[in-house]
Order: sequence, then C-alpha cells, then structure tokens
Amino acid sequence: MLLLQLLINGLQVGALYALTAVGFSLIFGSTKVFHFAHGSTFTIAGYVFYWLYSIAHLHWSLATAAAAVAAVAFGVFMDRCVYLPIKRHEGSYFTVFVASFGAAIIVQNAIGIVFGRSFISVSTPLSASVELMPSLFVSPLSGIAIVCAVVFFLALQVFLMRTNVGVALRALSENPELVRVFGMNPRRLSTVVFALGSLLAVPAAILTSASAGLNPAIGHHVMLISMAATIVGGVGSLRGAACAGLLLGMAENLALLWFPPQWTDAVSFIVLFAFILFRPTGFFGRPVAS
Amino acid sequence: MLAYLLNLATLICINAILAVTLNFILGYAGIFSLAHAIFFGIGAYVAAYMGLTWGSSLLAVLPVAMAVAGALSLVLALPALRVRGEYFVAASLGLQMLGLTVFAEWKSVTGGNSGLSAIPPARLFQQELDGPYEALGLAAGCLLAIVAVTSVLLKTSFGRNLRAVRDSESAACACGKNVAAIKTLSVVVSSALAAVAGVLYAFYLSFINVESFTLDTSVQLMAMIIIGGVGTVLGPIVGAVLLMVLPSLFSYLPFLPQTEVGSIQQIVYGLAMVLLMIYRPGGIAGVARQGVK
Repeated sequence: MLLLQLLINGLQVGALYALTAVGFSLIFGSTKVFHFAHGSTFTIAGYVFYWLYSIAHLHWSLATAAAAVAAVAFGVFMDRCVYLPIKRHEGSYFTVFVASFGAAIIVQNAIGIVFGRSFISVSTPLSASVELMPSLFVSPLSGIAIVCAVVFFLALQVFLMRTNVGVALRALSENPELVRVFGMNPRRLSTVVFALGSLLAVPAAILTSASAGLNPAIGHHVMLISMAATIVGGVGSLRGAACAGLLLGMAENLALLWFPPQWTDAVSFIVLFAFILFRPTGFFGRPVAS
Repeated sequence: MLAYLLNLATLICINAILAVTLNFILGYAGIFSLAHAIFFGIGAYVAAYMGLTWGSSLLAVLPVAMAVAGALSLVLALPALRVRGEYFVAASLGLQMLGLTVFAEWKSVTGGNSGLSAIPPARLFQQELDGPYEALGLAAGCLLAIVAVTSVLLKTSFGRNLRAVRDSESAACACGKNVAAIKTLSVVVSSALAAVAGVLYAFYLSFINVESFTLDTSVQLMAMIIIGGVGTVLGPIVGAVLLMVLPSLFSYLPFLPQTEVGSIQQIVYGLAMVLLMIYRPGGIAGVARQGVK
C-alpha cells in the first residue's frame, strides 16, 4: 500500500517537474540561453499566487492570472534587459550563466525579505486528501496536476507543430541565421520563447504551493530538477525533458521506501550522475558529451 | 577594534585561499564548479575530527585533509570529463546538494546540524597557534604558499595545457594532449588546496557546522572571483577582500534592519554579478572582455 501511495505521489510531483523542465528545455533548446533564473520564475509565480489568494483573498482564477502575468513579465524582462545586452557584446555561456545566477540570488533574497524564509503553503478546498482505500490518501490535486501537465504539454506540441510562430521557433533552435534570412525577427521569437517557457512554470508553482508548500530557496531545487531533466531527457528534446521530469519525481518518491526524506536532492543527483556517466545522450536527443 | 580587524583579516585570508583555488579550475581550466564549498567542508570536518580524536598537529592533519578532499574530488572529475559547460554546472550543483546532505546526516562524524565544537587550536612543532596574531600569520602564510604554488603550476607546461583545454578542448585533443588527465589533475589540485582553507577554518573558529558549507558559500566564492576578475592572479584576492569587507560596512548602516542584513548583502552580490556581466564581464581586476569561453 505504501508503494502505491508513493507511486501516486511520485506521479503528481513528476508531472509538475515535467512542466517546469519542459519550460526550461524549451528556452535552452531554442535560444541557447542557460536560464538559471527559471527557478525564480517558479518562485515568483508561487508567491504571487499565495499573496493574492491566501492573504488578499482574491478569487483563485484572478490569483492564477496574476501569477501567470508576473511569471511571463519576469521571463521576458530577463531576456530583454539582461541576456540581450550580454549577447550583444559577448556570447559565452559563462557570462550569461553568471548574470542569470545573480538574478536568481536577488529574487530569492527579495522574496525572503518580503515573505520570510520559512515554508508557506496555500490551503485550498482541493488540498485535503481523501482516503481512497485503507491507508491510501489521495488529494484531488494529484489528478489536477497530471491533467494540467498533459494538457499544457499537448497544447505546446500543437503550437509548435501547427502554428507559424511554432514552426519558426523550431527553426530558431536549428539555425538562427536562416531564420533571419527568411525575414523573421529572432529577437521577437526569443521573447515568445521566454514568455511560453515561463508560463509553463506557473501551474507547477501554484500546485506545489497548494500541496507541498513553498519557500524562497525552492528555486534552487526546481532549477536542479529542470537542469537534470533536460540532460537526462536529452538536450533539445521536449518529450525527453517531460519524461525525465516524471522519472525524477517518481525516483524521489520511491526512494522514500529506503531513505529518509532529507535525501531527495541526493536521489535526483544520483539519477543525473548515472545518466551523465552511462548515457550522456539522454533518452532522446543530441549528445552532450564532449 | 584591533581584535575585530585581526579576525576579519584572518577570515579574508581563508576565503582568499578558497577563491584562488576555485579560480584555478574556473579561470584556467574552464570547469565551472558550484561544489567548491563541499571541499572546503571536507577539509574542515577532517581537521575537526582528527583534532578531537587524535590531536591537531598541522603536519599530520593537512596532508590527510588534502588527500581525502583530493580523492573525493574524483567524483567531481568524472562528470567534468564527460560533459562541458552548462551540463557540468548541473552536475556540480547536484554534488553540492548531495555533499550537504551527507554533512547534515552523517551524525557520528560530522555532528549533524549542530556541528562539532571545542576543536583544539592548530599545533605546529609542539607549538599551539591559538593567539589572533598566530592565526593570522598561519592563514596569511598558507595563502601566500597557495598563490605561489598555483602561479608556478600555471607557468609550467601543465598551466599552458590547462589554458589550451579551456580555449578549445578539441584543439588540445588534436595536439595530442591528454585532456582527461589534465582536467582530472586540475580538479584534484584545486580541491586538495581548498581543503587547506577548511583545516584553517576549523582550527581557527574551533566550531563548525553545515551552515558554513552550503550552496550560499559556493555562490559567494564564485561571486568573489567573478567580481574580482576571472583568470587573473589578483582577481580572487581583490574579490575576497571586497566581499568580506562589504558585509561589515552594511552592518554599520543604521537604516538597514539588522535581521535583513544578510539578505541585503546577497542581493547586492547578485546585482553586482548581473551588472558586471552586462558591462564588464572581465571583473574588476580583469582586462575588459577577458571572460571564460
């Protein structure tokens, strides 16, 4: 029974990881920006929702919309005001990474000052768990998380496959020069990518705040998972990132059968490490090994 | 006031050692490690454990701490050999998280979250080094020695190989360089030297716990060398001085609430990192536009 419980929890957590990881992978795959502040997007969305829903008592749909606006605004701001000026004079990953990392530190501490450093959680009517079978507790949020992940992922796939902008985005990841030759504006496309990628973190952040809770430092954990999922899934493959996010969530929860909960980060690391050593190309996608 | 300045100077020396050793792999070999605080921690825990069980003779503790950190750094070297750049950052971030969990959970050796206290001061040739001047002298001496060692290493063919690997791994490989060996060796050297800072830290403070070896420490070290200037001899030291002196200035500003000083410091580091990367990626001591490829 414990196994079943952990499987269900793993599925829920994994679905949320998959959403954030796909957002990160989308940004990295098409713009080549290692957006370390993606974890901050997650934190911002979660805290905006918490603030409006739990403290200001707004309707959940308004709070969700505001969280989405905040996340997209932050992503686009980072692209326009930080990455773009850097890429204009120097393209090295190192410079972009450091700036992104600096932004993540600012967000984490600013949120810590405003909301405190301890865990907060949003209680919603859906948060309460129901006992489905003896000692098997499932909250409606698990179902919502899985449905959300599937819906968002399918919508993204349709967008990338069927719309002109989507096709241009895929072209951007293959060959930015060619995109420019065809008269499209890579800068505008990169804004779209950042907006989309940041948007994908919103449902994950809100559902996490309602189930496990948030703290300002959660961005690092989200980032580790997103990076690990991108590598484990195979760089450039959104499908891979989604599967890997699911795998990491499951691994984290199933590990509770043998290890105490403090070891969750360690489990993600071991999965990542095993993939780097034994299958650096990930599930699908291009090799990352030198 | 004098005691305060001596304390600050000693801590600056210890942090400068860490910054110099991190710069050795980041600035010259292009290996971007977020796990440096772990090797600092390994040095500190080895020193504390040996000091509490057998005695605190530096001549015994230093080699053991360096050997342990060097051996464990092979774990970091493994992914460094397989993947480049961004992917290695993920691996080292994971290692930092894993190391911290081990420090917090291996209670019989590390004392868990409450840490280890009453560590005896360092001894050198039967002489206890417990005064503030002795501690500063020891830390400054070690810093000089480590700057000398790394500078000499960088002047040899090994140093040239390192830079070759940083600038173009494929070209270095094509020239018949053993890229794997060069990278592994640089990681081992850097981690072993970082452990020296850990040993000094544990003996100097006589108390350590996991708080000193978190991701925040790794980030702060990175900020030091980035703000100071990556890939320069002076950069990490300038960065260490700046980032150690600034906090004390912040705590003197009367309009800042005392409880938020730590966060405000971090925000300033973050802001400095963002703005420097936009306007001056080479850092303060670096020549303009001398970033890592």
